[in-house]
Amino acid sequence: MQQLRTIRTDWKRNWAAYVMALPVIAYYILFHYGPMYGLQIAFKDFSLAKGIGASAWIGFEHFKDFFGGIYFWRLIRNTLLLNLYELLFGFPAAIILALLLNEIRAVLFKRFVQTISYLPHFISLVVVAGMMVDFLGRTGLVNQLIGVFGIEPIDFLKEEGWFRFLYVSSGIWQGIGWGSIIYLAAMATIDPTLYEAARMDGASRWKQMLHVTLPGIAPTIVILFILNMGNLLTVGSEKVLLLYNPLTYETADVISTYVYRKGIMEASYDFTAAVGLFNSVVSFVLIVSANSVIKRLSENKLW
Amino acid sequence: MRVVNTKMKQASSFMLVAALAAAVAGCGGNGNQKEEANSSTNASGTETKQNGNASDQPKLTNLKYWVANHSAASAQMKTYAEMEMYKELEKRTGVKVEFQHPPLDPQQAKEQFNLMIASNELPDVIETYWTDGYPGGPEKAIEDGKIMKLNDLIDQYAPNLKKLLEEHPDWKKQITTDSGTIYSFPFLRGDDKVRVFFGPALRQDWLDKLGLSVPTTVDEWYAVLKAFKEKDPNGNGKADEIPFYIDKDLLNVDAPFLGAWGINYNFYQDGGTVKYGPIQPEYKEFLTTMNKWYKEGLLDQDFAAPNAKLFDNKMTTNLLGSSVLYNGGGIAKYTNLMKDADPSFKLTAAPYPVLKAGDTPIWGQKDFAYTGIGAAITTSNENPAETVKWLDYAYGQEGEMLFNYGLEGVSYKMENGKAVLMPELLNPPGGVSVQQSIAKYTRSTWSAPYVLSDNFQMQYLVLPEQKKALEVWSQPTVERKMPLVTPTQEESGKFASVMTDIQTYRDEMLLKFIMGAEPIENFDKYVKKIQSMGIEDAIQIQQAALERFNKR
Repeated sequence: MQQLRTIRTDWKRNWAAYVMALPVIAYYILFHYGPMYGLQIAFKDFSLAKGIGASAWIGFEHFKDFFGGIYFWRLIRNTLLLNLYELLFGFPAAIILALLLNEIRAVLFKRFVQTISYLPHFISLVVVAGMMVDFLGRTGLVNQLIGVFGIEPIDFLKEEGWFRFLYVSSGIWQGIGWGSIIYLAAMATIDPTLYEAARMDGASRWKQMLHVTLPGIAPTIVILFILNMGNLLTVGSEKVLLLYNPLTYETADVISTYVYRKGIMEASYDFTAAVGLFNSVVSFVLIVSANSVIKRLSENKLW
Repeated sequence: MRVVNTKMKQASSFMLVAALAAAVAGCGGNGNQKEEANSSTNASGTETKQNGNASDQPKLTNLKYWVANHSAASAQMKTYAEMEMYKELEKRTGVKVEFQHPPLDPQQAKEQFNLMIASNELPDVIETYWTDGYPGGPEKAIEDGKIMKLNDLIDQYAPNLKKLLEEHPDWKKQITTDSGTIYSFPFLRGDDKVRVFFGPALRQDWLDKLGLSVPTTVDEWYAVLKAFKEKDPNGNGKADEIPFYIDKDLLNVDAPFLGAWGINYNFYQDGGTVKYGPIQPEYKEFLTTMNKWYKEGLLDQDFAAPNAKLFDNKMTTNLLGSSVLYNGGGIAKYTNLMKDADPSFKLTAAPYPVLKAGDTPIWGQKDFAYTGIGAAITTSNENPAETVKWLDYAYGQEGEMLFNYGLEGVSYKMENGKAVLMPELLNPPGGVSVQQSIAKYTRSTWSAPYVLSDNFQMQYLVLPEQKKALEVWSQPTVERKMPLVTPTQEESGKFASVMTDIQTYRDEMLLKFIMGAEPIENFDKYVKKIQSMGIEDAIQIQQAALERFNKR
């Protein structure tokens, strides 16, 4: 009875907020929970004619095929490494840029650098990949430049050793400015009196950054880090698809490109649903464990 | 913002899964739909029988027709509906056709095809490469409730095609599945002369300059390529010649060069036994040779990443000495393109190379009458009987003329009872290829559901070089080529999943062996790995399919 009344008063007070939330809730139900019905084909011998419900159950066959397949370890390794490198180099890069920008006193110069650094974010991935193919080809700009120093041309995109470096560095180039915005916003919320107090205590600019700015944005960093952990097994397939070729499969073929080749090109929807489900489960576990580890270490957490 | 960004990423990947799942979910009701479609065909079938009157069928006025566009046509029209032949067909039959074309890129086209098949919204007619294009083959397409079995409909409503199939039992055997199903209105190449159109070719003017003759063996080829590389046949004082180009896609078309060793890049039959080329010991010899050519700069450095534009560029800037070309889309195309820029430019066809001088080549491109391309009627089609009649028109006398030659008095004229293409079609202004000028009227320079006549083809081969190419390339015995076999329902899933991985590995290792990234000593390891991936199962499936085909 008591509860019912609370709900009623809550509704009366906040009904507008609930109505506003409706589209979002509908979106999640329609596009995120509804399709989960189709997940069952991961355990089925899916046939287009019989449909999802009527296809025969075959248990973990598809999972066994995937885990036992010869490409399993290569896919896991490539997916993990690409993400790990992005996390290792790309994640701190945005923070460092934000810290540097924060120290700039000349407002005009700061704005200028900021604008330039996040322009690449607005270039379509296809164009970025096209530019890379052009610049990095055997007769491309990069090879002409290093040719001046007498270095033999290198076919960057056709050598497996280069793929990860190119993928991660181009990612940083494209994302660093955009990624730094959130940190700059976090820095803006730091109470200026803290800096004043630090200065009174004789802290240098460097010390201020270490002991005021960084702790100030730490919660933001931690939350973004946890979210990134969840993505360890998800690489956006588009960029890899645009840049790889059979010569670089060894380092470039990731789970999502494999799913694309197998699922869309060969139409084995059931098998790829299994791979996708595996991917989601691992991501879920990663995110939960990252959250709990960090919860134990500090007060910051995602939930 | 980073949060937003990551969330967006997540959201988009979720959306993808959601879209896929929704597409799949959409098929839930398919079983029913198929039954309905079947029963409605049956119903209409019996109805006509009872009434003995086909005019009870509602008149067909509109058709949605899915088919891949061709680069020669797409350069001058948005859809096939703008092609003179289809405009005329609409006038004659009163059926307005709305064409749906996927992107030209074969990968993207395949992607669009698969997504279309997974959805419930099918066009009325789908024309594609059924034996290869539909995952699991044509029988599976019928089983999945996507297209109709046409046997009865053809019997009743397609007198022209029916008559042709009665006259040519070998054609009937090729377009029928193991269980006797006819699933499409096929593209048929009427005669041997129209079935050969691809083979090795090289620069005749370069040969003349260096005093060499057309090579016939692999060793002779090596000597010629070496001379191309070292003796500056393009005469610009730089050793920038690229003597030879081949890639995996070219290899896949009946094994040029690789065929000298008696094998191909896929399954072949050797006296009724199915074998897989890329694990034979002969394949190692081929790789060793190619590796040598690559190392010595005879094979184009870019062969690993095929790029049609780049290829055109190398050909037209006097860099490329030889490759494997199509007769119309290669020899004629480049000769016409270079007509004004470099009158001395001349390509000549070379016989498929062999190992020992005087041997007859075993491998060479020669298609069967039917290659797997055909127009099928989908289960979404509400008027299959009338659609069958519409498609059958192309196999009758009027239709044959229209589909082969276009419009009388405009694109062809009759002389002594034979259709003769107008001279302006065959001698287009500079910059336009013959294929493009014909594509304005018909699809006969590539494919369509009709019978391609060799009267057309011999006129299409305008240049003497092309006629010679046909003769030179027609020599191979082609005795080891697999016919168009189809796996059974049960086997098709297994076959596809085994072969996807094997083909990925095969393509990857081809490049690595040739470029030297993988030493040739590891060939045995490579074979073992392919065996461990289940090639034996796939070979057995092919063997069984071959035996079923022979029994048809």
